[in-house]
Amino acid sequence: MIRVDRRLFEHFDVVLMLLIFLVCMMAFFNLYSASFPPKAYGSQPYVKQGYFFLMAFTAFIFIISFDYQVLHFWNYPIYAIVIALLVLAETIGNTAGGAQRWIDLGFFKLQPSEPAKLILIITLASYFSRKEVHEGYSIKDLLVPVILTAIPFVLILLQPDLGTAMMLGIIFVSMAMFARLRMSTYIIMGSLALSLGIFAWEKILKPYQKQRIFTFLEPEKDPMGHGYQVLQSKIAIGSGGKFGKGYMEGTQGHLHFLPERHTDFAFSVWGEEWGFAGSVILVGTYFLLIMWGLYVAMYAKDRFGVLLAYGVVMLIFWQAVINLCMVLGFLPVVGIPLPLFSYGGSSLMTTMLGLGLLMNVRMRRFQNSMSRD
Amino acid sequence: MTQEEDVGLKLAFKEIEEIEERDDAALDLLKKRLLGVAVVVLFFFVLIVLRLWNLQIVDGPEYEKRSYGNRVRVRQMAPPRGHILDRNGREIVTNRPSFDVLLIQEDSYDIGDVLKRLAPILGTDVSDLWAKVREASSNPRYMPVRLKEDIDWQTLAYLENHNREFSGIRIEVQPVRVYHYDDLAANTIGYLGAISKKELDEADKSIYSGEDIIGKKGIERLRENDLRGVKGQSYSEVDAKGFEQKQLKTVEPLSGREIRLTLDVDLQQIAESYMAAGEKSGAVVVMEVNTGRVLAAVSAPSIRIKEFIGGISQEQWQALLDNSKHPLINKVVQGTYPPGSTYKMVTALAGLAKGVIDENTTFYCPGSYTFGNRTYNCWRHSGHGSVSLNRAISESCDVYFYQVGLRVGVDSLAEFAQKLGLGARTGVEMEYEKEGLTPTKNWKLKSRKAKWQDGETLSVAIGQGYNLVTPLQLCVMTAALANGGTVFKPKLIEQVVDVEGTIIENFQPELVNQEIGLDKYFKLIRKGMEEVVHGKAGTARNVAIEGLRIAGKTGTAQVVRLAQYRGLKEADIPYVYRDHAWFTCYAPADNPEIAVTVLVEHGLHGGSGAGPIARAVLNQYFNGKIGTKDPNKMVPVAIDPEDGTIE
Repeated sequence: MIRVDRRLFEHFDVVLMLLIFLVCMMAFFNLYSASFPPKAYGSQPYVKQGYFFLMAFTAFIFIISFDYQVLHFWNYPIYAIVIALLVLAETIGNTAGGAQRWIDLGFFKLQPSEPAKLILIITLASYFSRKEVHEGYSIKDLLVPVILTAIPFVLILLQPDLGTAMMLGIIFVSMAMFARLRMSTYIIMGSLALSLGIFAWEKILKPYQKQRIFTFLEPEKDPMGHGYQVLQSKIAIGSGGKFGKGYMEGTQGHLHFLPERHTDFAFSVWGEEWGFAGSVILVGTYFLLIMWGLYVAMYAKDRFGVLLAYGVVMLIFWQAVINLCMVLGFLPVVGIPLPLFSYGGSSLMTTMLGLGLLMNVRMRRFQNSMSRD
Repeated sequence: MTQEEDVGLKLAFKEIEEIEERDDAALDLLKKRLLGVAVVVLFFFVLIVLRLWNLQIVDGPEYEKRSYGNRVRVRQMAPPRGHILDRNGREIVTNRPSFDVLLIQEDSYDIGDVLKRLAPILGTDVSDLWAKVREASSNPRYMPVRLKEDIDWQTLAYLENHNREFSGIRIEVQPVRVYHYDDLAANTIGYLGAISKKELDEADKSIYSGEDIIGKKGIERLRENDLRGVKGQSYSEVDAKGFEQKQLKTVEPLSGREIRLTLDVDLQQIAESYMAAGEKSGAVVVMEVNTGRVLAAVSAPSIRIKEFIGGISQEQWQALLDNSKHPLINKVVQGTYPPGSTYKMVTALAGLAKGVIDENTTFYCPGSYTFGNRTYNCWRHSGHGSVSLNRAISESCDVYFYQVGLRVGVDSLAEFAQKLGLGARTGVEMEYEKEGLTPTKNWKLKSRKAKWQDGETLSVAIGQGYNLVTPLQLCVMTAALANGGTVFKPKLIEQVVDVEGTIIENFQPELVNQEIGLDKYFKLIRKGMEEVVHGKAGTARNVAIEGLRIAGKTGTAQVVRLAQYRGLKEADIPYVYRDHAWFTCYAPADNPEIAVTVLVEHGLHGGSGAGPIARAVLNQYFNGKIGTKDPNKMVPVAIDPEDGTIE
């Protein structure tokens, strides 16, 4: 199965690799600062994340070693495994912050909702590339993708992890719209989503989730409660000023005013310590990475490659935008990590696997699947 | 290969080519949409950078301040209040550290839990602690709630050792007052209390804040600016849970200024103890005749400082208000009484100065004087016979002064009373000082809408009627008589010294009025006053001390003249209807140093009721200075238990 082609090495994308490496470096340095003051027991977050980086790079190498075409075959079995894991997490999983989210593997706390995002991208890309409709997909054509999305969506919503479930929805919408829909599909899907949204607000959303939305709308009303996190994040980033307080000098982070400073609010630590200059450098690196990802999609050799690359880019793009908007006070706190930058093995692993797929598409852009020559 | 087949194959190839072309076209179409996606990505990233610009560059300084406010706690440190000493440098009021337990609400992440665990350690009820928290609910959250004051050493040690278990709880060292002589001069020195809402509203906000302790009464209040000192600040860094991480900087508080009073602890003590001995109500004033220094100012009964520490309860306050002996009133300046016979010096001076009498003028006293259709009695019903000025003063003959008063008129009496310091506030540093009253014809017309009756002049001439004086005014008058007509402003402050030892204020005598050219009259009056103590028939011979010449005057201020009590034995008259007893004097008679004025409310007679207290004060003052060193070696005098005089 693994064909070692010399051209593969020639087509290894140094720019993509460099951008990934840059973000990972910044993430690691930032996490080192965010780990201060050190925890009294257990290993420090930056140490654990160091191991996760090694694991994720291994997975990255593994992913680029085979032709992404095989995913046309493997996507459904993997999809089935992830769904099984989600069900498992729901039944025997461990709770964190009132939501059933992870399965303890001893060395690793697996959050199946993270790989679910990636396998959904692969599955949808495979579906949309195999079933090609030139005049746009009708509502009937979308039945299978909707079901493929709905199963993990509902399972994750039940955990209840609103943020990740929402990400699945965004992935579906991004991919379907990119693959082109008919106008009638837009109208039907739009009205369906609206009524579903109203239903969800009335029946499904937990009080704490509603509270988050209320708090977002009027954060000053409750500065000590739910608005506290966003307020402290804004104070941290804002107080960074032009050039920041200096590495390891962030008071908001080190004195625990910043909540979740390893995970969701890692960027706030960065913004406080490196200021506007550092923030623009980090955000700019993400921008280049995403733009380069779109460039990869542009030069993919087939429809599957384009959709796969595009899906991975969208996964990183939307998570980054939502996380940044969240820490900057544009969006309610929904628990979406900043890809590569936030602490967390599952998220890092998923992102790196996705980037591995991107590299895979990039490296095999000149190979023909059909040997016509 | 047939042609048909060939054509078919060609068609098939063409079809494949067409399909491939169509696929390529579709792929290109798909790829073109990536440009649209890139625009969306660009839009969001521009939005994020703009937001970063807004937060970090535009609002950066504001957030910098909030970040500073998050982590830096400024703790005010109360300065030690200035000490209060007596004239000889003996400490009356100083400070000691009190350890108070404070709660900083915003630093405590579970107030309920902390209070629950704290209550048994402090030995209080949780509900009491909660009550204190609620009381402070209108204050900003960063302001500490004082849960308990002045905890003992064991509690302090426990809390210091377990401080991490009590988030938001802090120990504050606060200097508190120590009263070395308990309630000594309490009505003069005053007490402290927590600043009230009203006081805070009127106060300089850069100096005072809601938790401050300020002077509430007396010197503590009037000299607040001197005693207060300057607060210190301690800046420390705290984490999100309110635990202190490190000290940033400390600006030490600056001690208040030390105030040395003119009071003499010994004199004050002896006067207070004599007043307290018979649970007397009244006042004692001791003043230097040539400077106006107040050496003792006693108002009895005194307030109890202890009742006021940490705020007085409503019941205690009501009890003080209801107390018939009025401990809250500083009788030295707030008590006004008819001067009684002590006023006869004023009448004598007016008579002499107006030329209606001289040294040798005599009036006959048959025991009463009839004016109009009314008979005015002399206190000695058997009469004094033919009386000259000297005897009139020493034996306090009323008839003599009726005659003088009638001859000079009430307005002249008032004129000379005012020249001696009566009828106006002395300006001493005491609160709510009363003016007293020196009645004139005009005054009556204005305030009573009635014409002055000449008969009323008779009453005024012997210090009754409308006349009202405070004990301090009478002491000032006595000093003026002693020093030859100079009215000094009575003063309480000897020196104010700041923490560096710089003298901020030093005692300076202050003249209020000086009568020149009346010296010969003063001499005559003083001679009479000397006879009061040292003469054969003087009314205060019991005051005499061996080796010391004392000049004084007794007085009885009539409270009521009710027919039902007439003829009763004095002991049978109800307390509140008994006359007030005055005794005012100065010594040594030939070279006066101090004036002593004693008022005993409902003390009946000046000589017996007030005299012994003045005698004790004089004995204390001159002990070791002049005369006998042995307080027991005083001249034994028999006192008539009936009316306190020897006739």
